[in-house]
Amino acid sequence: MSTIRDQQSRAAAALHRFSRTTTAMLLLVVVAGAVALEVASSGSFFEGPSVRVFLQYLATPVLIGLAQMVALCVGQLNLAVGALGGFTACLTGVLMADHGVPAPVAVLVGLLTATAVGLVTGVVIVATQINGFIVTLATMTILLGAQYRLVGTRTVDGYSATLRDLGTAAPLDIPLVFVTAIVAAVLLGAFMYRTVAGRRLLAAGGNPLAARLSGISTDRQIVAAHTLSGLLVGVAAVTATASLPGVNRSVGGDWLLPSFAAPIIGGVALTGGSIAVFGTVLAAFVTRLIDAARAQFSLDPSWVNLLIGLVVLGTVAGGHLHQTRLAKSTPAPQPGGAR
Amino acid sequence: MNTVLLECHDLVKVFPGVRALDGVGLRLTAGSVHALLGENGAGKSTLIKVLTGVHSPDGGTLAWCGEPVRLRSPLEAARTGIGVVHQERNLIPGFSVAENITLQKPPARRGLVDYAAMTEPAVACLTELGVDLDPDRPVRELSVAQQQLVEIAKALYTESRVLLLDEPTASLSPEETERLFGVVRRLAERGACVVFVSHKLEEVFALCDTVTVLRDGKSVLESSPLADHSHDDIVSLMVGRAHAAAEMRPRTVDRSAAPVLELSGLATAGGHRDIDLAVRPGEIVGLYGLVGAGRSELVKAVLGLDRITAGEVRVHGRPARIGSPRQALHEFGIGYVTENRKEEGVFLEQPIVRNITVTVWRRLARALGFVPPGEERAVAQDLVDRLGIRITGLSQNAGELSGGNQQKVSLAKWLAADTRLLVIDEPTVGVDVRTKRAFHELIWDLAHDGLPILLISSDLAEMVTLADRIVVMTDHRVRGEVDNDRDYDRMSGRIIRLIHDRDTVRS
Repeated sequence: MSTIRDQQSRAAAALHRFSRTTTAMLLLVVVAGAVALEVASSGSFFEGPSVRVFLQYLATPVLIGLAQMVALCVGQLNLAVGALGGFTACLTGVLMADHGVPAPVAVLVGLLTATAVGLVTGVVIVATQINGFIVTLATMTILLGAQYRLVGTRTVDGYSATLRDLGTAAPLDIPLVFVTAIVAAVLLGAFMYRTVAGRRLLAAGGNPLAARLSGISTDRQIVAAHTLSGLLVGVAAVTATASLPGVNRSVGGDWLLPSFAAPIIGGVALTGGSIAVFGTVLAAFVTRLIDAARAQFSLDPSWVNLLIGLVVLGTVAGGHLHQTRLAKSTPAPQPGGAR
Repeated sequence: MNTVLLECHDLVKVFPGVRALDGVGLRLTAGSVHALLGENGAGKSTLIKVLTGVHSPDGGTLAWCGEPVRLRSPLEAARTGIGVVHQERNLIPGFSVAENITLQKPPARRGLVDYAAMTEPAVACLTELGVDLDPDRPVRELSVAQQQLVEIAKALYTESRVLLLDEPTASLSPEETERLFGVVRRLAERGACVVFVSHKLEEVFALCDTVTVLRDGKSVLESSPLADHSHDDIVSLMVGRAHAAAEMRPRTVDRSAAPVLELSGLATAGGHRDIDLAVRPGEIVGLYGLVGAGRSELVKAVLGLDRITAGEVRVHGRPARIGSPRQALHEFGIGYVTENRKEEGVFLEQPIVRNITVTVWRRLARALGFVPPGEERAVAQDLVDRLGIRITGLSQNAGELSGGNQQKVSLAKWLAADTRLLVIDEPTVGVDVRTKRAFHELIWDLAHDGLPILLISSDLAEMVTLADRIVVMTDHRVRGEVDNDRDYDRMSGRIIRLIHDRDTVRS
């Protein structure tokens, strides 16, 4: 049935739809920003070492942004992203350095712990019917205490050299930690768009009542989302442990707000039901570009936060404006609006 | 043709404070189109929710093809073969048309959603309805009517043997409605049973062959052939006999007095056109209509919550521009007792005293906004006594009160502010009979003391008990006005006809 012409017009329609999305806008910003930096740095921005540093520090924002996005997509939020990440990183480091646990085992334990904490968080939210904000606020505080208990004021750095090497390795100037983040994003995207389980998550976030009437348990979806969020935080923690010179109680301390910024800039609604894997990754790129620009022009670090704050407000306000304009420009739907 | 698919006896469903279903029987046979009729609040939607596993019944039996069944969840009902289009929108806004249609059992292979396999059945369902929609389009981009059609397509996809349609035509155009009827007839020919809920009697008589009528949660006519009944029979069954008219002190209204509130030729951004309405001192004017007729929206527009696009609002004879409920209260003395007291009328987590005095803090306040607690309590206590609100103490939280007492607190708040006009929206939804009675007396007495009241209610008996004049609205327009002679049968007939005549004219 589907002729080439058909496919072409479909592709054109899809492209047209895409051109109106936040993702398209972000893609434009990323390209324009990168080109501008390239020009400003008179050609050194796209050179190997520079690209390598740029990408090395991009892994964490991407991963924590995705972790937060998964919680947001069912209408929840996860305040414990930073604390869980810091705790997991310290746990992995301490296991290896103080207890001589081999690196693969320590990494596995770290991932499992983070996932389990996510699972417990979800179960507590569903069982007690307490708002996720409060529950994750509590887990955040508990985990901060646990992290301090593990490392105190010292920095743990005497751990596996192999893990370190992996963390800083960058074949073709593309750091492995960044590859890890991108692989995680691709897998997450495939899970959310292609699997039945992923669609259930989004259905429950988009319209909980409709989901329930279609036989989807919203409680299970909340638990699943927090578990998945925990796993992603675990991956972020492991990549951080691998690439940082050492882990201490400050790891994860500055993760929480960026974890919200990336999905929000990327076009994820706080009310749930929407997801933007590519958008979140691009948003992390944008914030990283701002950071790179600061280094390039030796600006005061305070500029970075100011700019990120403005970008968050700007994209959300811009998106809102765009939506209202769309609603106005398209003729009001007629009662018999079916074509 | 006469296989009984679904049968229920003596179904009972109790919600806190109300018996929503109180002995309902229903027999659905294969190959029939069954009308389920009743006034607002008669229990139609509750019955549908019980039949589709959303609510579990508190009593009675349910049988599927002769075998007793328990439907514990919507999924179980769907697996049994009962499909439904609820009155509320039940689509996932971010999903495509095709994915919404197939949501109940998405085509999947080894846990992966098969998008390609989704399009064909979705398009088939849409084509059956005669709708040409891009199956890849996200549902949030569709108009209300298109979404409604997607919902119906979704119900077709499940290939149910019993299909319940709760007000499916509410937002459809006449042509779309006609196409839907065609589909319904085809389904019945194929041996399904379609249950059709509608307020439009014309549609019912055009489409259905059996009928069940609910009134006050009871089935007053059970699965009877529709051909045996006339239009008027059905109307009188729906409205029933007059509830014993309450004995109230006689009250007369001076019809020559200048109106306190007068609307002339009013139009709003919400779609109201040519609204004329006047409320005189000591008069209770009822605003009656079906759900969605735009009554609450009209009042909200007058109070400044929606834009007025034409016409004039006069308060005490002077043209008034009301920008907000705050201004309505403080400048014009108009109080609005909201329909949805849980969400809009009462601060559940606050003590009663603060709930009542919230409207008068400005008057009570001293320097720096300090509100003397003594005076605050005095004002509140006075109203608690006057309205007979049953509480353990003024510092009790409003959330701990029963529905009726919450509604009284909501009313007390406006009385505290010395309102000169009171708008009361659905005062007795979800309260028991005794509280209802007490509340009616309260409203009556307020009017007796000269307070003009605009009463919005979907409860016809309540209207006939309280109102002096009943203004009937449908589709955001005033369809007519009836002087109340407190004879329930006569009044209900005239009002229902005012509502339904429009359908006859239109179709």
